[in-house]
Amino acid sequence: MREGGTLVAKADGRVDGANAREFQEDLVTAIEADDQAVILDLENLSYISSAGLRVILMTARKMREQGSKFAVCSLSASIREVFEISGFDKIISIQNSQAEAVAALND
Amino acid sequence: MPEHPQKILVVDDEPDVEALVLQRMRRNIRAGDYVFVFAQNGVEALERLQLEDDIDMVVSDINMPRMDGLTLLEQIPKVDPNVRAVIVSAYGDMQNIRTAMNRGAFDFVTKPLDFEDLRTTIDRTLRHMAEWREALSSRDKLVALENELDVARKIQQSILPTEFLAGPDYRTFGNMRPARSVGGDFFDMLNLEHGRIGLAIADVSDKGVPAALFMMSSRTLLKGAAIGHDNPGEVLGEVNDLLTENNDSAMFVTTFYGVYDPASGEFIYANGGHNPPLVVHPDGTSSLLPMTGGVALGLMPGLPYEQESVTLAPGDVVVLYTDGVTEALNADDEEFGVERLQEIFADNPPKSCREATRVVFEAVEAFAGETPQSDDITCLTLCKGEFQT
Repeated sequence: MREGGTLVAKADGRVDGANAREFQEDLVTAIEADDQAVILDLENLSYISSAGLRVILMTARKMREQGSKFAVCSLSASIREVFEISGFDKIISIQNSQAEAVAALND
Repeated sequence: MPEHPQKILVVDDEPDVEALVLQRMRRNIRAGDYVFVFAQNGVEALERLQLEDDIDMVVSDINMPRMDGLTLLEQIPKVDPNVRAVIVSAYGDMQNIRTAMNRGAFDFVTKPLDFEDLRTTIDRTLRHMAEWREALSSRDKLVALENELDVARKIQQSILPTEFLAGPDYRTFGNMRPARSVGGDFFDMLNLEHGRIGLAIADVSDKGVPAALFMMSSRTLLKGAAIGHDNPGEVLGEVNDLLTENNDSAMFVTTFYGVYDPASGEFIYANGGHNPPLVVHPDGTSSLLPMTGGVALGLMPGLPYEQESVTLAPGDVVVLYTDGVTEALNADDEEFGVERLQEIFADNPPKSCREATRVVFEAVEAFAGETPQSDDITCLTLCKGEFQT
C-alpha cells in the first residue's frame, strides 16, 4: 500500500532464521528508490527471531542511506518485548499504529 | 587434534623462556602433540617462518628488540597467510591488545604466563585452524550449504569453554545444545584479577560461517575488553565499538556480561540486549536481573552500557540462558517462556550448578516434545555456596 511517498508494508506470521532471507527479498522488492518513508506494520507478526531483527535493521539503514524515513508500528506485546530486550527500541522508531507512524514520519 | 605434532614458534627475547616452555610443556611434547621452535625477536621469527613452512602457529611477546610483536603480526601474513598468532601481553594492556587484534592476532594470553591457559589457548587456536582449513576447502569445492553449516557449528563448538571455573565458595557450569541449522550462541568464563571471574553469554544474529567468524571475534574482543576494564559496562561499550567497525553486514550479538567477586558475593553486570538472567534463591523463589538498557552489540558505535549489581546470598544460583530456552515451541506453537523457567525451580531449588543446567534442558525438551529445535539452547549457571559441581 502506498500513499504519497509513503509505503506501508505488512509482515505476518513468523519470521525466523528459516525465512528471514525471503522476508528481506520481499522488502527489497517492495521498497522503491523514491519512497520517502516506509512503515512496516507488524500487527499480524507472531514471532520474530534475531535474524528477522537483522532484516529490519538493514532496511532501516538502507532507508537512512537513501535519505528516507523508517518506522515499525502496531507491535503485539510479545514482539514489543523482543524489540525492548534487544535494545532495538532505542535505534528503530516504534509507533503504536499506522496513523501514529504516518504522523511521526511526516513531522 | 591432527595426528602429527603441531609446530609452534615461540617468539620472546627473554632467554629463560625456551627452557621454561620446554619444561612446562614436556608432557605434550613427549606425547607428540606439539613441537616448539624459538626465536628471540620478530626478525628471527620471520626468518624461521620463511625457512620452515610447516609452522602452524606463533606465540609472540610484544616488546622485543629489532622487531616487536605488533610489527611481526603485520608481517606474518606476507610470509604465510595460514599461520595464526597468539600474543602475550601484560595484564590489562588494552591498547596493545587492541592493536594486536586489529592486526589479526587470533587470541592472546597474559603475563605472567599461566601454562594451563596457554595450553588451552594453543589447542583452541589449532582447533580453529583445522576448522578453518576445512571451511576453505569446502568453499573451494562449492559444497552444499549444509556442509558450511557443519563447519560453522564446529567453529562454534571450538570456542566454548571445556572446563568450568570453581572456587571454595562458588561453582559454575554451562552447556549449549546446537540447533540443526540455525544458531549463534556461545558463552565464556574468564579468570580475572583478585580472584574475580567474568561470565558471558551471547547470541549472534545469523548463521553460517560468517556468523561463526563474527562469533569468534566477539568472543576474543570480549576477553580482551574484560581484562582491560573492571566495569562490565565499559567492557560491553568497548566490544560494541570494536564490533561496529567494519560491520557492513548488520550482524549483531546480544551479550550479557557479569563479573562475580567471590570475596564479597557481588555480581556486577551489564546487559547488551540479551535475555535477563534469573537469580534462583534456596527457597525456590526467583527473580530476573533488571535490564540495564543496553542495545545488542555491533549495531551502532558509541552507545553507553549501564551496569547494575546484585549481591548473592549462599545458595543463590544465577541462571543465564539464551532465547533458545524461552522461545522453544511446543506442538501448540506456545513458547516456553520465562514463567515456565521460574516454575522449574519453584518446587525444586537447585542443589548444584550442573543439576540446575540439566533441569533446564530437560524441561525445555519435555515441553517441546516432537517439535523440532529451531535455535541453539544455552544455559550457564553460577552458584554461590557449598555446592557440588
